[in-house]
Amino acid sequence: MKYLDLFVKPLGIAAILAGSLVAQDVTHEALVNPSAESWPMYHGDYSGKRHSPLKQITPENVGNLGLAWAFQTGAATSIKASPLVVDGVIYFSVPDIVWAVDARSGKEIWKYQYPENKGFHIGSRGVSIYKDWLFFVTPDSHLISLNAKDGSVRWDVEVADAKRGYWMTLSPLVVGNHVMVGPSGDFDNLTGFLKAIDPETGETQWRWDSTPPAGTPGGTTGGMMWMSGTYDPEANLVYWGTGNPTPVLNGRVRPGDNRHTGSIVALNPDTGKLAWAFQASPHDTHDWDAAEVPVLVDAEFGGRQRKLLLQASRNGYFFVLDRLTGENLLTKPFGPVNWATGLDAKGQPIPNPEKEPAPDGRIIAPDEAGLTNYRSPSFDPATGLLIVSTHPSYAVYFNKEADGAFGWAGADYSVWGTGVLKAIDYKTGDIRWTHELGEGTPSAGVLTTASGLTFTADIPGNLLALRSSDGKTLWHTSGGGRMQSQPVTYMLDGRQYVVTGIGGVLFSWALPE
Amino acid sequence: MSHSRVFLFAALLIGCAPAVWAQADVPIPKSVVQKAYSAEAAAAGESAFVQNCAFCHGRDTGGGESGPDLTRSTLVTEDVDGDKIGPVIRNGKGAMPRFPVSEQELANLVAFIHTQKAKAESQVGSRRGVDTEDLKTGDVGRGRALFNGTGKCATCHSPTGDLAGVASKYQGLELMRRTLYPRGAKVMLTVTLASGEKLTGEREYQDEFTVALRDGSGTYRSFAMSKVKVEADAPAEAHVAMLPQYTDDNLHDLMTYLLTLQ
Repeated sequence: MKYLDLFVKPLGIAAILAGSLVAQDVTHEALVNPSAESWPMYHGDYSGKRHSPLKQITPENVGNLGLAWAFQTGAATSIKASPLVVDGVIYFSVPDIVWAVDARSGKEIWKYQYPENKGFHIGSRGVSIYKDWLFFVTPDSHLISLNAKDGSVRWDVEVADAKRGYWMTLSPLVVGNHVMVGPSGDFDNLTGFLKAIDPETGETQWRWDSTPPAGTPGGTTGGMMWMSGTYDPEANLVYWGTGNPTPVLNGRVRPGDNRHTGSIVALNPDTGKLAWAFQASPHDTHDWDAAEVPVLVDAEFGGRQRKLLLQASRNGYFFVLDRLTGENLLTKPFGPVNWATGLDAKGQPIPNPEKEPAPDGRIIAPDEAGLTNYRSPSFDPATGLLIVSTHPSYAVYFNKEADGAFGWAGADYSVWGTGVLKAIDYKTGDIRWTHELGEGTPSAGVLTTASGLTFTADIPGNLLALRSSDGKTLWHTSGGGRMQSQPVTYMLDGRQYVVTGIGGVLFSWALPE
Repeated sequence: MSHSRVFLFAALLIGCAPAVWAQADVPIPKSVVQKAYSAEAAAAGESAFVQNCAFCHGRDTGGGESGPDLTRSTLVTEDVDGDKIGPVIRNGKGAMPRFPVSEQELANLVAFIHTQKAKAESQVGSRRGVDTEDLKTGDVGRGRALFNGTGKCATCHSPTGDLAGVASKYQGLELMRRTLYPRGAKVMLTVTLASGEKLTGEREYQDEFTVALRDGSGTYRSFAMSKVKVEADAPAEAHVAMLPQYTDDNLHDLMTYLLTLQ
């Protein structure tokens, strides 16, 4: 355990208790088979489908949807978290702050404030829960465990050294007795890694490095863990998308594939041992991480029932893999893509050397923001559609000797882009329908429900309920800002709610009582 | 935030408003007012900058993920004690969110940004940034042929008319970006009401549900998309249709030609 860098801080940070104590006991079983009424983890369940079995809100009645309550954070940073909903309590975060809010009323139960720190405060994807404990990462790369009842700190460990340029944003993935977390960081040549941490003690159980230490001959750095992974309990494998290599735009100093960067990896959660890896972007030079949600679907493919993994990747390709073996079943662009010469024998795109950033610029589709990105897609089992917030776009990418070989190492400029919600047929990669989201870069995730509804938001800031089968708008409203979060849904006292974080306000929508 | 800004900003990608595009030639433009800020204020500003700004603008203000290099920004160059930086921080700009900072916090951020800019101005030698000379790798003749032929530029533009002196008006990189797509170009709308009445004006806002224009008298008027018929005259959109057509050689030939239009 040479990487052990456990650092337990003195616990003296007060949480503000402003309500009755709440009871939790989220067992491993409750996470493997979450109740339809709850939303106990980032994606709702381990599959990453962001699909709810709830059917009270339907295409027929969604036109009556209205505000149940709103919770104003008063925080300077927008909500980017996917809220958890457990036993009538909502838990969510912005950088440095966690709230517990009554899911019936929107009233604050408690608030936890982490001390001021110098980490990048670009976003917090939310907290995770196991038993009575919440897990929360900080901008300066600590993992904090809070008591879900009152927000008091149980322990605080350092995951990565913020002074070296690491920061953290993701919602931890809890699998059994493991809390899995990893850092971000593109401005320094840093090794990417995933750690499993003991939920009881905060001790590191294992660490898997996506890239070797900086300076390793023939090696690359990068491969960061921007987002929460998914998990198949039967296979006992976690699936994680890794970040781009560094230096970001200078590929000359890191020749070859830059193994395990821009990849989907399958790891054993008990040991951290790699089962297989598929590289979505071999030798990336455009900042296209493969951190987008690896969506786990059990469905027919090629005439037989299979355990599939779907990813609409930032680089513009839609991938279907066999998630037991990593075998590629389908690779197809889902929008404008111009940087690859074809596919290799493993179904991985072959980067065109002529499209590496150059002193006179290279025109590249998509732009740095990617054809999609962190925002969650949703898989609707009834229609077999992966509904993805896409960004058809073009950019020019530059790199020259003077840009050096550290961190960004170049410059890229988006020239045009738009937002389009696309429904991808998982069997063929064909686009079944599209819904325009406006000019610019979309930022909202997607939720589908078993009644045939799709919830998301457009770029100007309209919250939308669409029909999942054809993308037609059935309901809309405006929360007065852009949605930069992933919608969730839950049921309480027989009433279904849809929760959306828009700007600094959490809105809960429901049918009239 | 006015509707016009909402629309304009929705149309812009992350942190790329025209005023801060000028990230092109060395040397770095000199600030209009040269002023030394206290080291204490700059240090306090650096702390806040790293937390809230560095992901997009870089820890050293020299540009990061998606945000412009502030040391080369026209807006920062023209800023005096935060008079231009302050409104951008407090109101947001494009994809940049608003940051509700106090007077003291703003003063510290301004001190840090100007201190970094002064440091960058004093540095000799090239660093990040795209030089105009970098963009002249093509062939003028082929570029001219493309302009008049398959590039379709001559359908709307003329080197002696609207583009006369364009390479003096826009520096290299900015010219390249505007050649590929001129962000923020005017869109003229004709809105036909149920009564048959037609209104024309510059588009102020449009989404799936609402459209707005500013009519000839300067009045802002909005309409429900479901109640009117909307026709848009948006000639700049022809650039979007060309984006998939360009090879890198096409682009460099075209730039090399356009850069002769001094």
